[in-house]
Amino acid sequence: MFPDSPRLWQRRQFLQLSGLSGIGLFLGGCGLIPFDAAVGKTFEPLNQSVEALLLNPQKLVPEFPASAIEPNALIINTFDSTPNLDVKAFRLIIDGEVNSPLNLSLEQLQIMPLSVMTIRHVCVEGWAAIVQWGGVRLRDLVALAQPKANARYIYFKSADGYYESWDMPSALHPQTLMVYQKNGNPLSVENGAPLRLASPIKLGYKQSKWVTRITLVSELLPKKGYWEDQGYEWFGGL
Amino acid sequence: MDSSARSQKSRSKPLPTQATGAKLFHWLNIISLVLMIGSGLQIYNSNPVFGGRGGWQFPPIFLLGGWLAGGRHWHFAVMWLFGLNLFWYGLYIFITRRWQHRFLGYNDLKALHNSQNEKRKNYSWHRLVYTAIIPVLLLALVSGMGMYKPAQFHWIVDLFGSWQALRVVHFISVPIVIIFSLIHSWLGLKVGGLRLIKSILS
Repeated sequence: MFPDSPRLWQRRQFLQLSGLSGIGLFLGGCGLIPFDAAVGKTFEPLNQSVEALLLNPQKLVPEFPASAIEPNALIINTFDSTPNLDVKAFRLIIDGEVNSPLNLSLEQLQIMPLSVMTIRHVCVEGWAAIVQWGGVRLRDLVALAQPKANARYIYFKSADGYYESWDMPSALHPQTLMVYQKNGNPLSVENGAPLRLASPIKLGYKQSKWVTRITLVSELLPKKGYWEDQGYEWFGGL
Repeated sequence: MDSSARSQKSRSKPLPTQATGAKLFHWLNIISLVLMIGSGLQIYNSNPVFGGRGGWQFPPIFLLGGWLAGGRHWHFAVMWLFGLNLFWYGLYIFITRRWQHRFLGYNDLKALHNSQNEKRKNYSWHRLVYTAIIPVLLLALVSGMGMYKPAQFHWIVDLFGSWQALRVVHFISVPIVIIFSLIHSWLGLKVGGLRLIKSILS
């Protein structure tokens, strides 16, 4: 078929066919670690504005029937240890840019209106689980604390040292809850008891467990979140 | 290509002319797909679609990004190149009516069924193969959007039935794209020789 130069043709064909995998091998093998962070930093502002644009802070994410719950699908991830908190001594503090800082016991939280939602919990790793969460709307707690006009971000501090920060529109979404129930039962310690954050609009690493302090701030601090400070995307919207 | 017969007789003949749009699309596609696959497999490894945490993982040589966060940075940066390249090319083939002249048509199906002409049949096979990759690329894009923003695009997840189905479809686009690249190159060689390959990549 190629009488002029069969040997050359074979070599060329080989190069051509292996081109796709070859470039992949080259890029993968080089270890572009400093470059990876630069790619993230370059595109994160664009992606974040698209994410913020997609988010409608009032629109509810469709929920699932209770029969769709996948009781064994929720994998337990922790960055360090599992703190065993004394439920009686537990206090949730809400402070920062608020006019009326709060210090609430679990009992006080449990007499507030209960919101229950069956949603898909999506992990950054790629897996997902349909879970039912029950607790208090974060927007109700924030309203109770009377936020100042300049409060734009919200920090969550956990008993295990984990910390997170969210944009205010996501925090005030009606399906962003501080929960103490999972699948109709009291929350287990592994899942974040006595109180954790849960929402269908953020990736799992944004949903802090064992939350003890919620602080409203006007500007993001240099430390944005445990995983974010290692290189994860901050917005983490779904 | 009608120039294929002539091409084998003389190497000094000029390369077949290819539209700049088609060349650009090919290059951007090759670059974006290599980067999307490398970073996608990096993300895959943090929780394999098949087998979960205990599942088989791809060796580091195929990966891009170093770890999950790096893989995601690459994937969600290059998605713009991949998606926008598909988008403008869609507009381009629509406006230039390339869609009618250069992709699979009724004549090709007739040729595949009836023709005795081997060359004509190869030509139609080639058109069938590169037409079929377009929906695969679109499916990769749509399933990816569903996984990236499942709350905002919940209807995409619903369309695929389940989260696992969505993950499988998105992942399957990787072997399909690789196999397609091999068959597309092979059929390209068969119908137009190296000159055809060179003409689209030069």
